[in-house]
Order: sequence, then structure tokens, then C-alpha cells
Amino acid sequence: MPAFPNAETAAEVFGELFTILAADEEFTAKLRENDLTARLVHTKPDCTIFLSADKVIVGPEAPEDAAITIKMSCDTAHQLWLGKLMMPAAVATGKVRIRGKVAKVLELVPILRPAFDRYPELAAARGIGA
Amino acid sequence: MFNEIISPDLSDLPPETRKFHAAVREYARDEVAPKALELDLQEAEDFDWEIVQKGHDIGLTRAVIPKEYGGLGVGVLGVAVAMEELAAACPAVALIFGATMLGQTPILLSGDPRLQARFLPIFGGDQVALACNAVAEHEAGTDLVIPQNAVHARIVTTARRDGDEYVINGQKRFCTNGKVADFASIYANMEGYEGATGLTGFIVPLDAEGVTRGIVADKMGYRACLGSELHFDNVRIPVENMIGGEAEGVAISTAQGNMARSTVAAISTGIARNALEHAVEYCGQRVQGGKLLHEHQFTAGKLATMTANVDAARLLYRRAADLVDNQLPAPEYEPAVAKLFADRVAIETAGMAVSLMGANGFVREYGAEKILRDSYGTRIFEGTPEALSLAVTDCLYREEDDL
Ligand SMILES: Cc1cc2nc3c(=O)[nH]c(=O)nc-3n(C[C@H](O)[C@H](O)[C@H](O)COP(=O)(O)OP(=O)(O)OC[C@H]3O[C@@H](n4cnc5c(N)ncnc54)[C@H](O)[C@@H]3O)c2cc1C
Repeated sequence: MPAFPNAETAAEVFGELFTILAADEEFTAKLRENDLTARLVHTKPDCTIFLSADKVIVGPEAPEDAAITIKMSCDTAHQLWLGKLMMPAAVATGKVRIRGKVAKVLELVPILRPAFDRYPELAAARGIGA
Repeated sequence: MFNEIISPDLSDLPPETRKFHAAVREYARDEVAPKALELDLQEAEDFDWEIVQKGHDIGLTRAVIPKEYGGLGVGVLGVAVAMEELAAACPAVALIFGATMLGQTPILLSGDPRLQARFLPIFGGDQVALACNAVAEHEAGTDLVIPQNAVHARIVTTARRDGDEYVINGQKRFCTNGKVADFASIYANMEGYEGATGLTGFIVPLDAEGVTRGIVADKMGYRACLGSELHFDNVRIPVENMIGGEAEGVAISTAQGNMARSTVAAISTGIARNALEHAVEYCGQRVQGGKLLHEHQFTAGKLATMTANVDAARLLYRRAADLVDNQLPAPEYEPAVAKLFADRVAIETAGMAVSLMGANGFVREYGAEKILRDSYGTRIFEGTPEALSLAVTDCLYREEDDL
């Protein structure tokens, strides 16, 4: 059974997750320093998020153009943020697919900590179980 | 010798990459090339720390490491053009640095800041540090490279979890830098899994208790780098040294290989270029039948074929490296095709150079026979032609799955 019942719940949970991340100074400083923008394409159910140093846009208004595009299913995202699936395996098996400067992506991953810390509680609050 | 046509055109690369390449080129020309024949004649166990230290000084041990850990962050394309340059002087020296980057890759992929902080800064210091990647074993070689073969692998190094540690037992062989590296990225099979289906990646400091560095292989070529055994006897390492999850090693090792293959194709391209340069120089000086060798049409035909092949090999590895720098997971097809082609070109071009130089091609001091011996080494590591062919064909029949 999919972790997310519908696109609205996915948009709420991931939207909030990235809003938390966007409030983290280390993270936004990195985005700004490298002039980085990211488009996160979640599937099953569909939920797209655009992230820059200044804003988080959730849903169909998310701009197409971004320096990095990250695509994965909502189930994979759920496993990843819960820490049940580790990034190297997710990427190596193609469950997470990234387009954009790999060197920049590899620099971003270690500073995603606030998202990992907060996700379980965020998901649980919306009834998305572990 | 320097020839505008044979040398790579780097005008489209970022200034930082060009600067790094220029430093590597100077190092290859002034430090490595003059010593290449001497290094080739050394005993299997000898290692020239002085030349490696000089490579470290220009950043060759930290080229792929992000700047925040003291690295250069030039990406895979930056590394690949550097590898071509080094291999044109001596591929074994290229591999000392290539194997180090291979050992670093799982740490970069881990995205784990603690692991990165523990293992990456050592490459930013004044003193040279090296890493290695340990996959091959006595009973399992290609079985640990072709994913479908994993189930058939026999007597593979094992890992077992014990509280907050993993316990590793087994033996690896042919590990480039195994004798001299600070740490190894190794793959071991979790107990209870068939063959190598439970393969798991670990970072093992080589001063850990229970690690012994075994014999160094007495190789036909690539003599300046040491391919040695590593023995693990109840080696205990903390759980945070595990990369990417238990039993995920086949996928991670494959991804690591796909990231590395374009740089190995670049090594083959460098070998081929060196052979071509030797042949062009020789055929531009030697007179037989009243004219320079290159004026004989048979010779001209060979030189033209060699030149076209070097150019094509370079285009293929650069295309592959550029893609690897811009997508994760790294593509499988382009790096495999680039290495498959470049490895063959290296052997063929080296063979032609030896042939064009007559008996002098067969004599050590002219250097061509060394190039020929080295050319056979590159096609073995990071995928034999058979393993690469299977990977390429697999891509031809694979249906893209949507996420
Ligand atoms: C210069 C050099 C540096 C190296 N550095 C390293 C290193 O740093 N780390 C490391 O771990 N290893 C290293 N190696 C070892 C290398 O990775 C292995 O030699 C390689 O994987 C092949 O394994 P093998 O020698 O056991 O050959 P085998 O696996 O026994 O293969 C023998 C032959 O059979 C073919 N074959 C096997 N299986 C199949 C199949 N299913 N279908 C078709 N053909 C098949 C192979 O292609 C090959 O031609 C190095 C080797 C060399 C020469």
C-alpha cells in the first residue's frame, strides 16, 4: 500500500518539510552561494516542489527550470526521510534519479540533516506511518 | 613530443579544470615521463613515494573531493582529462591516483558528514595520503563485477554484525595501492546471503587490528603501482563505516564502476596517444626506401587510423564523463562503450606503434614495448571486455522503468 493516500497529503508533508529546510541558514547559504535551485518531482501520487534560497513553491506552479531535478516516488521519499533507505543505495538502484551538477548535489546531501530530524514527526502528524 | 592534433582541445572546459589540467600536464611531462622506464624496471614491491608526493602537491589525491574538505572539486571530467595526461606519461602513476579516487567515491556518495569529516580531510594535508578499492578475490573476480553473476560467486569475504560493529573476514587481491593506502573501501558479503548477493560496502582503515597487507603481484605492466593482497582476520569496524545499507553493495559497486569507467577509458586513451606520439616521431625521422617512413602509404594509413581512433576514444570518454558529472545514478551505457572502445584502441595502437618502429619497437629503451604491456592491463580492471559487452547489450534490451 502506498505511504501517501493522495496528492494533497504529499504536498502538505513535503511542502512543510522543505519549508523547514528553507529556514535552515546553512542550507540556504549553500543554495545562495552556488546559485542553486532544485525541482523535486515526487510520483505516485504526484507532488512537485521548487526550492530556491528565497522560496518554496509546491504544486503545479513549481517552475520547470531548476539547476537540479530530483525524481523519486513518494514511497521512496518516505523511506529516505525516515532513514530506512540510505542515499547511496537509493541513488545506485535508480530509485532516486538526479539531473544537474553531481558535485553540487553531493555537497548538499550532508546538510539535509534538519529534514531527516523533523520528517518522522511531520509524517506521523498526518497519519503517515513508519 | 607535443603535437597540436594529437593533444586534447580543452577550450570548452571551465577555467578551473583547465588550470588543473595544465598543472597535471606539467607534472606528467617533467616528473613522470622522464622516470617512466626506470619505474617500469623496478621490483614489484618498490614504490616511488617522491613522485606520488609531487602528484599530491598539485591536487591529484583530492581532485574529486568537495572544496569544503580541502579538495579541488573538478568533477569526473576534470579527473578524466588529467588521467589521459598522466597515462600518456605512465598509466601506473595515473592508476595510483585513480585508485585513490575510487576508494574515496563511496564516502562521497554516502552523503554522511561524519564519515566525510573522518576520512576526507587527510587528503588536504601536506603529507600525501592514498586510498584503495578492494573488490577482487581469489575465487571471485568478474562474479563481483557482473551483477547477474553475484549469486554464483564463491568464497567471498564475509561481514557479520556484532552490536555496534561489523566483523570482517576474508582476503582481497590485486588491490591497487593496497600496500600503501591509509584506508580501503571494501565489499564483503553479509553472512547468510548466497554467493555475493549480500555484498555490502565498508570503509576499513588499514591500520585496524586484524588487517594484513599481503603479497604484491609481479605484473607484466603497470609496475609503478602496487597491486596487493589485503587480508582481513576478524577485523572490527564501527557500524557507521558501512556504506549505503546492508546487501546494497552490488548496486553501489556497480554505480561506483559506472562513475569510474570514463576515467579508465581516459587512461586507455592516454596510452594510445603515447603510442601514437612515439610512432609519429619515429616515422618522421626514420628513412627507408629513400623516404621518411610516414611517406610510405602503408605507414601513412596506419598513422591515420591510429590518430582517428585516439580522437574517437577521447570523444567517447569525454561524453561519458560529462554525463557522469550531470546525473545520478551515473549512466551505464556511455561509460561502458567508452571503456570498451578505448581499451581496444590502446592495445591496437600500441601494437601498431611497436610494429612501425621495427626492432626498435621491441627494445626497452625506446619505450613502445612498455606501452604495449601496459595497454593490456587497463582492459582488465573496472570491467573486462566481456563484462562491458554484457553491460552494453543489457542496455540495448532494457526497458526504461518509470518511477
Ligand atoms: C592493473 C590492474 C589493477 C587492478 N586493480 C584492482 C583494484 O584496485 N581493486 C580490485 O578489487 N581489483 C583490481 N584488479 C583486479 C580486477 O578487477 C580483476 O582482475 C577483474 O575483475 C577480473 O577478475 P579475475 O582476474 O578474477 O578474472 P575472472 O573473473 O576469472 O575472468 C577471467 C576471464 O573470464 C571472463 N569472464 C568471467 N565471467 C564471465 C561471464 N559471465 N561472461 C563472459 N566472460 C566472463 C572475464 O571477462 C575474463 O576475460 C586489478 C587488475 C589489474 C590487472
